[in-house]
Amino acid sequence: MSRVIWVDAQHMAFDNSVPHKLHQLIHTSGAVAELSEGMRVALKINTAEEGYEYGLRPSLLRIVAEAAHAATKTRPIVCDGLKLVDYWKKSMGNLYMQVASARGYSNETLGGHFVINGGFSGDEGDLFACNDVDAELGGVEVGTAVCRSDALWVLSHVTLHPLFGLSGALLNGGFDCLVGRARTRVLDGLNPYPFNGYRPKAEDVHTFQRRALECLQGVNKAVENRVFYINYLWDVTPQPEYFPYSDSPLVQNLGFLAASDPVALDHATYHVLQQADADLAEAVTAKFPDVLRAAEAMDLGQRDGTLERLS
Amino acid sequence: MVEYKYDPTKWNEMKGPVVGGRDTYQSTSWNPTKKKWGPFTEKGPAPVWFSEANSTNWVESMICKSKDLFYEAKLNECFEKGDEVAIKIHYGEWNRTAILRPEYIAAIVEEVRACGGNPYVVNDTTLSYHTYNSMAISQYQMEGAIRHGYTDATFGCPVLIADGYSGEDDYRVEIPEGNILKETYIGRAIAEADAMIVLAHSRGHAITMYGGILKQLGIGCQSKRGKYITHLAHWGDPHDAIGWPKFFDKCPGKACIWHEMCDDSCPRDAHKVMEHGKVWNPEKCRLCYSCQVTCMWSGMTGIGFEDMYFPNAMIAHADAALGALKCFDRGKVGYINHAIDVVPECDCFPWAGLAVCPDVGLFAGKDLLAVEEATLDAIDKAPVSPGSVLDEKGGKPGDDKFRIVNGFSPRITQAAGEKIGLGTREYTLNTWEPVLSPENAQKWQIRKGGIANHRPTTVRLRDVFQKHDLATEVMPFKRVDYDKEWVWNEWKKYDPFDGETLDA
Repeated sequence: MSRVIWVDAQHMAFDNSVPHKLHQLIHTSGAVAELSEGMRVALKINTAEEGYEYGLRPSLLRIVAEAAHAATKTRPIVCDGLKLVDYWKKSMGNLYMQVASARGYSNETLGGHFVINGGFSGDEGDLFACNDVDAELGGVEVGTAVCRSDALWVLSHVTLHPLFGLSGALLNGGFDCLVGRARTRVLDGLNPYPFNGYRPKAEDVHTFQRRALECLQGVNKAVENRVFYINYLWDVTPQPEYFPYSDSPLVQNLGFLAASDPVALDHATYHVLQQADADLAEAVTAKFPDVLRAAEAMDLGQRDGTLERLS
Repeated sequence: MVEYKYDPTKWNEMKGPVVGGRDTYQSTSWNPTKKKWGPFTEKGPAPVWFSEANSTNWVESMICKSKDLFYEAKLNECFEKGDEVAIKIHYGEWNRTAILRPEYIAAIVEEVRACGGNPYVVNDTTLSYHTYNSMAISQYQMEGAIRHGYTDATFGCPVLIADGYSGEDDYRVEIPEGNILKETYIGRAIAEADAMIVLAHSRGHAITMYGGILKQLGIGCQSKRGKYITHLAHWGDPHDAIGWPKFFDKCPGKACIWHEMCDDSCPRDAHKVMEHGKVWNPEKCRLCYSCQVTCMWSGMTGIGFEDMYFPNAMIAHADAALGALKCFDRGKVGYINHAIDVVPECDCFPWAGLAVCPDVGLFAGKDLLAVEEATLDAIDKAPVSPGSVLDEKGGKPGDDKFRIVNGFSPRITQAAGEKIGLGTREYTLNTWEPVLSPENAQKWQIRKGGIANHRPTTVRLRDVFQKHDLATEVMPFKRVDYDKEWVWNEWKKYDPFDGETLDA
């Protein structure tokens, strides 16, 4: 049974501030247990698109980066891939970095080397097999910043997602770690921006969800299952970070959850959001439990777990 | 004297094609060659602008002169408003000191932006040039770049690795015109730019004898694959040692104090030190220079180069430079050579020797070979710096300096480049001497768009002093009573020359 640690956002005090809570999360969850001196850890984050104004503050990521640094005595890599669709005509590497810089994301602020997963073009990567017998994809190309690392920490800004239901550990640790052209292949023509009246077909969404889960198998193989996940329930917006805008957050900030099992973590995350009366009625998000069920069937983890709440 | 016993180097015969060779990669790949590419100068000598390395007032600041040359040489016409402009520099090896100061790069970034371009600074990863090389891995290289002061904050634009996280993010460019090479691989951040301004540090180079703007194109723009090709890896036969390291029968084996570092030097485990001598597997070798540099610069003589390797590599890197040039339309690339800290070796060395000559100055233009030739001529004419390796070798002003320092004349590269259409070696030198005038003094001192606005600092301070005149508030300052003896004589007791003055 998987163990999920939840450090909530309550009882703030001088000795129980957000940094204290994140340190507690890392300590209690045993995140650094698998690390040793000299290991290169990649921290996969979500960088916000221009116009999306609820991105995670750099300090929330830096605390985790410093913990990885302390455990490995090696400065970690902080990475994200280029945006999939050139919404603002800014998908070239230099323009991506400009947008990230304007959000305060830099080598200096993040506590690690901030790089594009997949290089300037976003297409630099290696092919890894998806080990499911029924896999549609066969294999996926994982970005070099991830696949050349010794361990991967997936730091996900939890939001709703118009195709996957919830943007959390399963999506950020799988599909989002791929190079750009591989993500395009996984989408298979599906528009990731379902607004302005566009609504994808239900079967296309289901196919994407299945394929996105297969991506996680490829990423796991790339880093030999040395993966740890943290979900930030902080500014949980209806739109994911790659959108060029966002509505207000659905609920108050709920804290941070961590686990080494992405299925248990996203399952717990969904449960915590439900308990907080977050409006999850959006059609795709409402069916996210089906995605979790499929992920469990693919041996990506198990939904049942213990949720330990710390305050 | 110690008498070493050793076994001769073991030569393993090649067994068929190299595993992982290019047959399996991009055999019919993208080729970003522009239709309108070509040398900037089609006929006659090319104009080159020069400004000497000396400053005595505001307008003669080297930074101000580099901005002046940018416009005099019409480098502002290399791009149009909205163009993505790659600023190609060398990020410098860890512990290297003789590199371009960040101000030179920031100065040009500012002007590219002022002209409507969107600049970003780039360099590619390198091969593993020595055991503790920090430029072969992108995050190591960026750590070194930050230490050198090459950051987004200092330049005001993104600072990127052109060929991706691992040096594999590249385009293949075909160069049928090449003397030796027929293809090369260019980092994507360079190949996808609309225009490029190349800012080179002019100095020596152990392989190509000299490195300036052509070296920036011929090796600096190449991804890892491109660098392997330019190194002539696997060209010829292992016994010729043109495309491989040359192993001499002088390796002392494990008696050598460097043997562990020597074993560590190969990223492909191609060689192994034995009790006596060394075993080497040429199939694994890709000629990254790591074992050679480790052996040669530690003062040992077990591994080196075939003499004829150098001129061939020089010609090959002219070919590779053409590959980079072909990624841009004609006239879309501008060049500035900084003949400052003209040291004997490349910026990829983790040390810096004494400069072979005093600082010479800046050279700018749009013709690659003309700018390079003018730079080389001026360096050769310059005096010889006392104590430098050139001085030790008896070099004189007017000598081909880098031939004496490093072995072959850099003109080999120039001649090879001219043959394949890189440009013209003929040039007319326009010496830029800024006029000292109030307008010119303020031209580059005022940072348009920066914190300092369009008013003189002194005038701005008037506003400040009106609100808070800090000097008046604390007047009079505490000090001894005024005494003419202090003013006229007492101070001389502190002067080792007893107050004797020299004519200015």
